[in-house]
Amino acid sequence: MRINSAVFGALLALALLLTMAAAAKTNSSKDSPNAATHNAQDDTMRLAGEIRFRSNCARCHAAPPKFSPRMVSTIVRHMRVRATITEEDTRLILHYMSE
Amino acid sequence: MCRVVFWPGKVAHACLLGFFFLLTILSSVGMQGQQEDGSKPVAFDATKPIPILTGSTAYFTRVTAGQFQDVPSISPLLLVPIGDKWLIEGKGNYSDTYTTNAQGDYVGKASYGLSYLQADYITKYVTVTAGRFIAPFGIYGERWGPNWIRALQISPLINPAFSGSAAGGMFRGGFPAGTLKVNFNYAVYFSVANTNHILATDRSTGGRIGFFLPGPRLEFGASFQQVLQSDRAHAAGIHFVWQPNRVPLSVRSEYVRTSGTKGGGYWIESAYRLSQVPSLRRLELVGRGQQFFVAENLKPAVVKKLGALGKDTKQGDFGVNYYWRSDVRLSASYGRQFIQNKNSNLWTVGMTYRFVMPLWPTGSRL
Repeated sequence: MRINSAVFGALLALALLLTMAAAAKTNSSKDSPNAATHNAQDDTMRLAGEIRFRSNCARCHAAPPKFSPRMVSTIVRHMRVRATITEEDTRLILHYMSE
Repeated sequence: MCRVVFWPGKVAHACLLGFFFLLTILSSVGMQGQQEDGSKPVAFDATKPIPILTGSTAYFTRVTAGQFQDVPSISPLLLVPIGDKWLIEGKGNYSDTYTTNAQGDYVGKASYGLSYLQADYITKYVTVTAGRFIAPFGIYGERWGPNWIRALQISPLINPAFSGSAAGGMFRGGFPAGTLKVNFNYAVYFSVANTNHILATDRSTGGRIGFFLPGPRLEFGASFQQVLQSDRAHAAGIHFVWQPNRVPLSVRSEYVRTSGTKGGGYWIESAYRLSQVPSLRRLELVGRGQQFFVAENLKPAVVKKLGALGKDTKQGDFGVNYYWRSDVRLSASYGRQFIQNKNSNLWTVGMTYRFVMPLWPTGSRL
C-alpha cells in the first residue's frame, strides 16, 4: 500500500508538473516571437485604422461612442457605400472601431 | 478490510490524476487554439453585422425675416446587412413646422418623405445600388445631409438647382488609384421619372468622380447631371474638401452651373473646432459664404415659378455648435441674406440627437 501510494504520489506530481509546464508554455507563448509579431501587427493595424478613421470619417462627423463590434460592422458597411470608402480603409477602420 | 479502504483511495487518486491530465490536455488544446486564432488578422470575422436602427431627431427654432418657425423632426435610418456583401438601407423623415398664421393661431404643418430605400451589393471595386437613392451630384447631399452632421442647419442655396433624388440603378465605388497616396471614387446612375409626391424623381442620368489624398486630407472632384425630361437641362459642378492635419479646421466648397432656368452658384464653408483650448474643446465655429446667380433672360412668369431660384442672392452665415455628448449637439447660427430690395436675417437655434440601437442580439455587453 505504501508503494502504491508512492506511485500515485509520483504520478500526481508528474501531472501537476505537466499542468504547470503547459500553463507556463501558454503564458510564454504570449511572449513568443509569433505572439510578439501578432501584437505588433495588431498595433500597426490599429494605428493605421485610426489614421484612416481620421481621414475618412472625421472629415464629416465627430467620433461616435463605443458600439458593439457587430453594430460597428453594420455602420462601417453603410459608410463604405455612403462615402465610397475603399475596401482597405474599410477593413482597417472596422478593426480600429471594433477594439 | 485493507482492500476496502484502499480502493476508494485509489479511485480518488485516479480521479485526481485524470482531472489533472485532462486539464493538461485542455491547456495544450486551448493554447493551440489561441495560437491559431492569433494567427488570423483580426477577430472581426466573428463580428457579423446585425440590423440596426439609427438616425436623428432634432428640434430647431428658426426666425426667417421675422417669421418664427418651430420645427421638430425625426429621420430614422434602418440598416439591414445580409451576408457578406449585401446591405438594405432605408431612411425616412418626418417633421412638423409650427408657425403663427395670419389669424394669430399657432399651427403646424406636417411633412414627410423617403430620403432613400436602396439595396447595395458591395464588391471591392463596384457597389451596385438599386432603388431610390440620393443622386450622386456634389457631396453635400450624401455627406452632410443628416442634420446631426451638417455644420449649419440651413442648406446651401444651390441645392434646388439640380435633382437631389433618383430612382433606378447606380454603380459606385472607391479604390486606390495605383498608389496608396491617392484614392479614386466614382458614381454613375440612371433614374426614371416618378410623380408620386413622396417618391418624386426626375428622369435623369449623371455621375461624379473624385480624388482623395489621405496624406493632406484633401478631396476634390466633379459631377455631371443630365435631366432627360421637360427642359432637358444639365448641371455640372465641382467640389472640394480639405481638412488640414495640423489644425482642427475643415474647409468645404461646391460650385454648380446649370443650363436651362435654374441658374447656378457656389458656397464655401469652414468649421473650426476649438479642441486646442481645454475649456472650449466642445465648441465649433462655423462660417459660410455663398452666392446664387439666376439664369439669364428669364421671363417674369418663369421667375415667379422658380421662387428662391429666381433671384440673385448673396448670403453669409455664422454658427456655433456645442458637442455636449458624442450623440447630442446644440447649434445656433445667424445669417444675413442679400436679395435686391429684400434683405433679411436668418436665425436658427436648436439641438440634434443621434440614436443608434441594435435590432438583433449584439453578443456583447457594450
